[in-house]
Amino acid sequence: MVHSSKFIVHSSKGRGRKVIILLAACCLFVSVLFLNVSLAATKQRVYIRKLKNSHYQLIVNKKPYIVKGVCYNPVPAGKNHEYDWWSDPNKPWLLDGKLMHEMGINTVRIYQTSENPDAVKKVMRDLYETYGIRTILGSWLGFWEYPCPLYGDKEFRDKIKAQVLEMVRLYKDEPGVLLWILGNENNYSFSGQVNPWSSEEINKESDPRKQRYMRAHIYYSFVNDLAAAIKEADPTHPVALGNGELIGLDVANEFCPDIDLVACIIYRGKTFGNIFKSLRATFDRPILLSEFGADCYDAYLGNEDQNMQAFFLESQWRQIYENLAKNNDGAGNCLGGIMFEWNDEWWKYNEYDPAGWQVHDCGSNWSNGSYYFDIKAKDNKNMNEEWFGIVALSGELENGINKRIPRKAYYVIREFWKNPVLKTQGAKRKTKNAK
Amino acid sequence: MKKRNFKFLMILSAFIVSCQLSAVSHQLFAQDNDKLVSLSKKVIEVKSSEDAFPLLQELTGLYFKEHKYNECIDYLKSLVNRRKTLEPLLNYYIGFTRYSQLRYLEEAQAWDEYFNRGNSYRDEIAVSLEKGIEAIAPTDALGVYARLTLWKFHKDQNDALSDGVLSDLMNFVLSYAKEAKNPAAIKEVAAEFSAYGEKAKASSLYKIYVDKIVSSKMNDEEVNRAALSFYEDGNLDVAEGIYDVYIGRIKSSLAKEKVVVLLVEIARMFAYKDQGLSDALYAENVFRKVEETGVKDAFDERLIYLRAFNLEKAREFQAARDFYRDLVQRYPQGAHTDEAYFKLGIINTYILRDPKAGKGYFENLARKETLSPQVISSLYQLGLLSQWEGGLVQAKGYYNKLLEKAKDGFGGTVSLTRERLKEIDEARPIEYNLRTFLDASFKEEYVHLDMNKINLKPHPYRAKNKETVSVNSITHTPESGCLQLDLQYLWSGDLGQARPASSDSSFNAVYTQAGTKEINLVIVSPAGIIDRSIDLVDID
Repeated sequence: MVHSSKFIVHSSKGRGRKVIILLAACCLFVSVLFLNVSLAATKQRVYIRKLKNSHYQLIVNKKPYIVKGVCYNPVPAGKNHEYDWWSDPNKPWLLDGKLMHEMGINTVRIYQTSENPDAVKKVMRDLYETYGIRTILGSWLGFWEYPCPLYGDKEFRDKIKAQVLEMVRLYKDEPGVLLWILGNENNYSFSGQVNPWSSEEINKESDPRKQRYMRAHIYYSFVNDLAAAIKEADPTHPVALGNGELIGLDVANEFCPDIDLVACIIYRGKTFGNIFKSLRATFDRPILLSEFGADCYDAYLGNEDQNMQAFFLESQWRQIYENLAKNNDGAGNCLGGIMFEWNDEWWKYNEYDPAGWQVHDCGSNWSNGSYYFDIKAKDNKNMNEEWFGIVALSGELENGINKRIPRKAYYVIREFWKNPVLKTQGAKRKTKNAK
Repeated sequence: MKKRNFKFLMILSAFIVSCQLSAVSHQLFAQDNDKLVSLSKKVIEVKSSEDAFPLLQELTGLYFKEHKYNECIDYLKSLVNRRKTLEPLLNYYIGFTRYSQLRYLEEAQAWDEYFNRGNSYRDEIAVSLEKGIEAIAPTDALGVYARLTLWKFHKDQNDALSDGVLSDLMNFVLSYAKEAKNPAAIKEVAAEFSAYGEKAKASSLYKIYVDKIVSSKMNDEEVNRAALSFYEDGNLDVAEGIYDVYIGRIKSSLAKEKVVVLLVEIARMFAYKDQGLSDALYAENVFRKVEETGVKDAFDERLIYLRAFNLEKAREFQAARDFYRDLVQRYPQGAHTDEAYFKLGIINTYILRDPKAGKGYFENLARKETLSPQVISSLYQLGLLSQWEGGLVQAKGYYNKLLEKAKDGFGGTVSLTRERLKEIDEARPIEYNLRTFLDASFKEEYVHLDMNKINLKPHPYRAKNKETVSVNSITHTPESGCLQLDLQYLWSGDLGQARPASSDSSFNAVYTQAGTKEINLVIVSPAGIIDRSIDLVDID
């Protein structure tokens, strides 16, 4: 049966809670009856409120919170993704946190925590206590395990579940935690083409469409199981389903009642298309654009183009704001966005070539026609993995850290956040009123 | 007195605007400058918005040509107070100019102005167009243009308002169409819908437009000329709509024999061709109408071939097979018989997965005494199929017969044959790419590969000897975000001396011998075969 997540509190301006408190003082029976609901609302530091018009708002410490986020993985030049930056004695997050704070960023997203919980807590506390920046923690759910993620295998699922619950146990009481994201683009494996995995039952099925459904069923049931277990352990933070585009969410609608929101990874260029309305129709949950953005390297002309990146990001943020709660023209289901990414990562073009980690490679491994300025690049490969940073890394070190050079997007988005007036909509309303 | 005052005011207005124009337009070319001044005088003098519309269109066009959008806006704004009756029209043009400017800034990557002024320009677009829309009568084409620009503006941003504005635009156009004085506006909306991917809406508006312009007063020849003129302008949607009307008329007014002649003319015009305009499916639609006339011998040899070839290029292979079969049955000694037999073999064997039927055609051709490239290629195909089935002796028999018949000619096919014979002699399997294609075409486990996930496109399809044929492929794979699939392109068949690597999604082939060349492709991802495809190129 499909029912909406308990984590979404139906409310309007907090009046419901006050009424419940008053009733609790007058009548024990009534208070007991409503205790579950009211406690859920008052105890939670972070929760999602569903407004009367069905719009969704993220509430943090009783106030609406728009996620203005950035994916954070400060790997220095010359290192790769295995580098334990959490334990870096030079504390790059302090420098980054300052720059982020000045830009207006209020959230960082971490894909997977380190194995050193003290180091993770230190980073989270530094960011939160010094700059008010909250952290979204996530788990790959074993998606990158070799030979492949075995979501059809109970032993594998149990192992991942234990890891996820350990993460929750370790960090749930950290004041800087915003929410949990489970998985990232794991749903792309349903087609059997990316990180392929199977099970005996799937192997017996010859119809590729049914195979896809079976994988989606297994995976989303597992994620829901994790979400339910997380809520038992930590009723104070929402749980998001990380998903590439909206693919598979019709199946998630059947098997993920305990998911509070969808954290979508989207690279559609200038806009997000009709994603907000589509989500309403397929899996009515709030949406957080948990990974989006643009690179700043023109693969066609072969040079850095900061304007191109700023252009895409500004346009994307405009659409995010149009679809936040209380904007009657939008879908009202967007909670904010998390740009990919804070800093360039020099290891990404060829992760198997340590010499290349020292070099800011201009190569591209993938193509995306929605980023049209440089789509005429050779073989249409225009997405330059090492050039997504809002800040560039300099080869020069300052206090042991690669110097950060904010790109144009840093300033353009900072200005947008300061004054995110959606003028087209203001105009529309004006004319409507005039009528 | 009043009249004199009015006249004076008009002259004064024209003078002021002319002064402003010369101030802002000194950077425009001299001849454009003269035109600007003359157009602006006319704008001051015109009585109605309807008359001003084309003048302003020309005038703004002159500014746009030089990308003087801000100057254009200044000029339009200077007019607003002087010509109150033109206010809705001027508001439309202000919005339209800002819209064009924003697009230009993006295209030209003039980022400083884009980032500094973009928000206020967007605001101005919406405000001006909406103000214009409110004041425009439902019968005025300006209402269509203003709504169209507003929709394109919202659609470009894919913002929350675009759906609502689209539905408002569509409703307005439908209502406007009832008494449209200017049906061209409907056509323009249809063309924009088509460009923005709103195909169904485009098609319904084209139909309305055709109904509007083809009045009952037009005679058949005028209708025909109208259709031809749209065809020549490259607007096939409208041309087809008008030809449908034309065909409907001549069917009831002319003798069947005459109708056939005219229909064939239209079908030939639309049939597939490497250069120029064509719509193979529409051509087939007209061919069917020829058939429906019931005129005996309406289809001669050339026409049957054209129909089959057209269907083959439209990738309607089953229907193409039927007409190639008709061709060889009716014209066993015709100019295209060998080509038709060979294509029947290929289509049946590889595309329709019926090798038994395919072999029958290859054998028929292989028995022919008179040599042609297709006779030689049929022997190769028979050898290849036997080799894949494990009948090595039989395969060698076909290959040797081929070499014997070919003597010193047919180099490309002979070279492929020698490769196959070497494999047999050295007890090696068929080379990997070709074997994979054959496996994918015949093995039960690959029966789900339906050639829909690969778009294989050689160009031109009919090439001259030594002309370069570019072969491109597009794969439709499941979405995988930034997790890019590592695809392998297994090319095989007659590739005209090209040796594309497995990472090449396209290549150029040059054929030095005449004949029908088959190009095979299998695309493989780490998880297995995605799909297979085959296409044919005819070398003269």
